[in-house]
Amino acid sequence: MEQVGLAATSDVTLWSLFMEAGLVVKLVMVGLVAASIWTWAIIVDKTMSFGRVRRRLDNFEEIFWSGQSLEELYRTLSEQKTTGMGAIFVAAMREWKKSFERGARTPIGLQQRIEKAMDVTLARESEELESRLGSLATIGSAAPFIGLFGTVVGIMTSFQAIAGSQSTNLAVVAPGIAEALLATAIGLLAAIPAVIGYNKLSGDANKITARMEAFADEFSAILSRQIDEKLQPRQAAE
Amino acid sequence: MKKSLATSTTVHVVLLSWGLLSLSGPERLDAGIMETLPVDIVPISELTQIQQGERTAPMAETAAPEPVETDAPEPDAQNIGNNTVDLDSPPTPEARPETVEEAAAPAPTPEPVPQPELVPEPEPEPEPVEPAEAPPPPEPEAPEPEPEQEVAALPEPAEAEAPDAEPLPDAPEATAPAEPEVAALPENIPTPMSRPEPPRPQVAEQPEPAERPQETPPQQPQQAPQETTERESEFDADQIAALLNQQAPSGGGQRQVDNQQAALGGQQTTGGESLSQSELDALRGQIQRCWNVVPGMADATDVRIRVGMRLAPDGTIQGQPSVSASGGSDMAQRTLSGSALRAVLRCAPYSLPAEKYETWSEVVVNFDPSQMF
Repeated sequence: MEQVGLAATSDVTLWSLFMEAGLVVKLVMVGLVAASIWTWAIIVDKTMSFGRVRRRLDNFEEIFWSGQSLEELYRTLSEQKTTGMGAIFVAAMREWKKSFERGARTPIGLQQRIEKAMDVTLARESEELESRLGSLATIGSAAPFIGLFGTVVGIMTSFQAIAGSQSTNLAVVAPGIAEALLATAIGLLAAIPAVIGYNKLSGDANKITARMEAFADEFSAILSRQIDEKLQPRQAAE
Repeated sequence: MKKSLATSTTVHVVLLSWGLLSLSGPERLDAGIMETLPVDIVPISELTQIQQGERTAPMAETAAPEPVETDAPEPDAQNIGNNTVDLDSPPTPEARPETVEEAAAPAPTPEPVPQPELVPEPEPEPEPVEPAEAPPPPEPEAPEPEPEQEVAALPEPAEAEAPDAEPLPDAPEATAPAEPEVAALPENIPTPMSRPEPPRPQVAEQPEPAERPQETPPQQPQQAPQETTERESEFDADQIAALLNQQAPSGGGQRQVDNQQAALGGQQTTGGESLSQSELDALRGQIQRCWNVVPGMADATDVRIRVGMRLAPDGTIQGQPSVSASGGSDMAQRTLSGSALRAVLRCAPYSLPAEKYETWSEVVVNFDPSQMF
């Protein structure tokens, strides 16, 4: 009889641990698993989207610095949906076109408007890049505590059960503690990738944003030179 | 985002299902079969504090009051005494009864009787003289009657008795009971005490006739007091005698073995007078704390130092401790004995139980440097 009992209690697979846990611990475990799924979903999604963004930036820079006419580039890009540098370029060109079509008077006002348009687009793009990274940070910092909460509750209940069974045998004590520790394990399992992924992805997003800001500054300088070249003859003609 | 969420979910499900199903519980630790060792805590006071007694005696609530000495028990001893050997020497003859009766006998009754004796007693002394003087007596005959008549007023009965005594020998039995009564009368009169001196020459007239009656009356009065003392002592002495040990003491004989039950105990009484193990450990620890051994000394492990000291009841050291060292080199001996002496002196006063002072009034400390390195 004793051996049968020992065999039953020694069956400490992950599934049996999960099933023997209490309701609170189960909820904590399920929530942590969901957090882990969400974390990995974000990490996969961001990694892929950042790769896409980087590739587009490379393509756009290649086209932009190829010597192609800005008018032509604008015409081709404005017809399709653009992201990243393309969006910035399109926004700046659109503002430029509008100003010239309606007859801009002062170069300084035109310059400011173009820069504003580019800033707005840049902010929108960087927000898109950094979206959902905040939830990664939240999971990374909160998951260990949630797991610890599950562990504490599980150990509490198991100690209460030990007190009821009036036996301090390690075979009686161990399963409850192991099951409670599983919650912390799952919490750490979700938190560690979240923290690492957050650091990596936020760094990547900052790099991409910095790259787009640099392009915006550069393009702003080009447009400023163009404004001077195009407005001075007009003023001279008048 | 949906695509990545789907991929993440699928990967999690796959990993979890693989982990839950394929990752069974960890292998059981092979602890092996271990026999538990029973551990008893044996208080050492059982060994250090033993009362003398019999090993086979049953455990009792109270110990036998006195441990029995079983060195040479001879139950066959016939004579009672305090010897280790059963000697057959006869009981010493009693001289006591006399002294006991003297002490018990009331003095007042016999005293009156000898008084009449005293009167005649001086007479026997003059008797040997008087016979020599006997021829001259006719001369003082004339004066004799004069003093007799003068004094006769009081002592008449005495003189009358004296003549009465002469006929007494004829019928002593009849007069015997009356004599003590008559004799009692003169007691109250102190005058006869002084009188005997003057009558000496007077009585000398009748030397021989006076002697005989005098001899007989003393015998009778002596018997009378004896009878009275015996009657009176019967009340006390007999009852006391019944309580007394009737066995006559003798020089021989052997001390008999007690028939009291033996107490459970060891070979000898070691008692609580010795320091307990914890107290010894405390003393040892106190000295060890004060002992600084110079490290890295060659041959130091072979040196054994023995410090003997005399302690005062308050734990201070009396006089100079004696130090002796053995083993190792002379250099190590000198150094370590110096350090041991310093340790002993520095640790004073020692805190030891005052009630056991006799056990630690002299302490010998053995220093073993090998345990310090």
